[in-house]
Amino acid sequence: MNVSSQTWIVVADDPAVTALVVAARALSAEVTAVVAGRRATAESVAAAGVDRVLWLGEPAEGTPVEAYAPDVARTVADGAPRAVLGSSDGAGRVMLGAIAALLQAPVLSGVIAVEHDGDQIGVTRSVFGGVAERRDLVTGGPAIIALAGGDVGDPSGAAVPVEEVTANPLTTGRLTGVRKKEKAPVNLGAARTVVAVGRGLKAKADLALITGLADAIGGELACSRPLAEGVDWIPKERNVGISGQQIAPELYVAIGISGQLQHMVGVRDAGVIVAVNSDKAALIFKQCDYGIVGDLYTVVPALTAALAPKP
Amino acid sequence: MTIVVAYKWAPNPQDAAVGSDGSVDFSRAKSAISEYDPVAFELARQVADATGAEVVGVTVGDASIDTSLARKAALSRGLDRLVIVADDRLAGADSTRLAAVLAAVVRGIGDVDLVLAGESSVDVTEGQVAMTLAGQLGWLGLNAVSSVSATDGGYAIERDVPSGTASMVLTGPAVLAATTDAVLSRVPGMKDILGAAKKPVEVLSLDMLDVSSAQVTLTAVSASRPAAGNRQRVIIDGSDPTAAAAELVGALRAAKVL
Ligand SMILES: Cc1cc2nc3c(=O)[nH]c(=O)nc-3n(C[C@H](O)[C@H](O)[C@H](O)COP(=O)(O)OP(=O)(O)OC[C@H]3O[C@@H](n4cnc5c(N)ncnc54)[C@H](O)[C@@H]3O)c2cc1C
Repeated sequence: MNVSSQTWIVVADDPAVTALVVAARALSAEVTAVVAGRRATAESVAAAGVDRVLWLGEPAEGTPVEAYAPDVARTVADGAPRAVLGSSDGAGRVMLGAIAALLQAPVLSGVIAVEHDGDQIGVTRSVFGGVAERRDLVTGGPAIIALAGGDVGDPSGAAVPVEEVTANPLTTGRLTGVRKKEKAPVNLGAARTVVAVGRGLKAKADLALITGLADAIGGELACSRPLAEGVDWIPKERNVGISGQQIAPELYVAIGISGQLQHMVGVRDAGVIVAVNSDKAALIFKQCDYGIVGDLYTVVPALTAALAPKP
Repeated sequence: MTIVVAYKWAPNPQDAAVGSDGSVDFSRAKSAISEYDPVAFELARQVADATGAEVVGVTVGDASIDTSLARKAALSRGLDRLVIVADDRLAGADSTRLAAVLAAVVRGIGDVDLVLAGESSVDVTEGQVAMTLAGQLGWLGLNAVSSVSATDGGYAIERDVPSGTASMVLTGPAVLAATTDAVLSRVPGMKDILGAAKKPVEVLSLDMLDVSSAQVTLTAVSASRPAAGNRQRVIIDGSDPTAAAAELVGALRAAKVL
C-alpha cells in the first residue's frame, strides 16, 4: 500500500486528545483527525492543534460510538497515512481494531517511543506485561499505535474547519440509558506518596486502618486490582498496575500486596518502595527497598502511631 | 444460534525466563486458561442456558495449545464443543493475525451471533484481539461488558463506561469483551471434568481457513530487559510491630521520603 507521510489520529467521541496530537506532531508536519461522535467533540478536536478534521456526522440517538468503527477504518484507509494513533481505552481499541483488520496491520500497544527511522517508523514497546522491551520497524503499511489518551497541557493552534464525511454506522446496538456514577476525581500520578492495599485486607471496614496510615503519612490511597474489581472496596481509578495507573511517587507503601508482575509494573519507577506482608516469601520482598514481615493488622497501626506528631 | 467463547491457553509472563538481551522464554512457564477468560465461559453458559444456544469454544495459537490438559480445561467450563487451530506458524502471531484466524473460524461455524472474550490475555496483556476480531467480522465490538442477557430477538447488555453503567440492546451479531468481574466463574467440578472427555473437539488446519494475509509486518531491531530497579531490600522483622515501625520510619526519614 502506498502511504503518505501523514499521521492520523482517531477519536472516539473523547475531546481529551492533546496527548495524541503531541505524539502525532512529533511524527509529521501534518496531522489529520478522524472523529466519531458528537459535533461538539469534533469542534473541540478542531481547536486542539490538528490540520484537518474529518467528522463522521452527528450520531442518531442511541448510537454507540463503537458503531462507527467500520467508517473510521474506511476513512483512514482512504487517507493512507504513515502512522495512525488512537487511544488505548475501550472505544479506542475498537477503532484501532477495525483499522487493523481492514489494513491487516498489527495494533502496537505498550508504546514507549515512536520515531522515524529513515523512511520507516520505529516503535519501542513494552511486551508481555512489561517483562521485556522491543524495538521494531514497521514495514508494508501504516504503524497503528495505541497510546494513553487524555490531555497533556492546553490545546494549541487555530481552529480548523470540521469537514463532514458520510458514514453508515452499524445499527445492531442501541444505547438505552446510562446510570451515572459520581466519581471523585483522583490524580494518583501527581501524589508524592501513595499508600496501596491488597488482598491481605480481610474486610472493607478494615480500610479505615489503611486510610488512617495514608492520612498520617500524607499520601493518596491506592490498591491492587482485586480490591477494585470483584469486590468493590476501592474505586477502579485507584488500581495500580498494568490495567490501571502507572505511577512514580517518591514513596510507595504496599500493604498486603503479594508483588505480582501485573501490579509491580505500575510502580517500577517509584522512588522508595515499602512492603508490609505477613508472608516472608512474598514476591514483593524482592522488589522493595524496605519490607516489614508482619501482620498488617498490627504493623499498620504501629506505623500510623510512629508517624503521629510527638506531643 | 451459537455463542462463541474466544479464549487463550497462555502462560503468565511472571514465570517466563527473560534474558538480558530481552529474549522471553516461556518454555518453563505453565499455560492455563488465561486468567480472565473464565468470565467469558461463564457468561456464555448462562446466556445459552436461557436461550438453548450452543456454546463453542475457539482458541488459536501455536501447536503447544492443543494438549489433552488444555482441551479438558476448556471443555469443563461449560462449552458444548471446542474448535482449535494449533499451528506453529502462529507462534508469536500479533493480535491482527490471531483475530484473522479467529474470524475465519467464526465464519466457518456459521450461525454465530455472539462472540464473548475476556478483558485481556495474561501473556500479551493488550486487550486488543477481540476488538480486532470485531473489525475483521464487520460486527459491533464492545469492551467492558459487565452483563449479558437474552431478550426477544437479541441481547440486553450493560457496560462500564467512563460516566457510569450504560445499558444497550443488541439486535445483531457482536463481539463483547467482558469486565473481569462481570460474573463469578464456576470452578469446574468432578462431573464437569469427566463430562469434558466426551465433548467433541474439532481441530482445523490453518491451510484450510480463509485468512487474509498480513500487509504490515514488524522487523525486530533490538530488545532489552528493563532495569529491575536497584531496590535495597532491607527486611525488618515485624513480630514487634512498634519496634519495626520505629525502624522503618527512621529509615524513611533518613532517606528523606517522609
Ligand atoms: C491481564 C491482567 C492484568 C492485571 N492487571 C493488574 C493491575 O493493573 N493491578 C493489579 O494490582 N493486579 C493486576 N492483575 C492481577 C495480578 O496478577 C494479581 O492477581 C494481583 O495484583 C494480586 O493482588 P494482591 O497482591 O492484592 O493479592 P494476592 O496476590 O492475593 O496477595 C495478597 C497478599 O497479602 C498478604 N497478606 C495476607 N494477609 C495478610 C496480613 N494479615 N498482613 C499482611 N499481609 C497479608 C499475603 O501474604 C499476600 O502476599 C492483572 C492480572 C492479569 C491477568
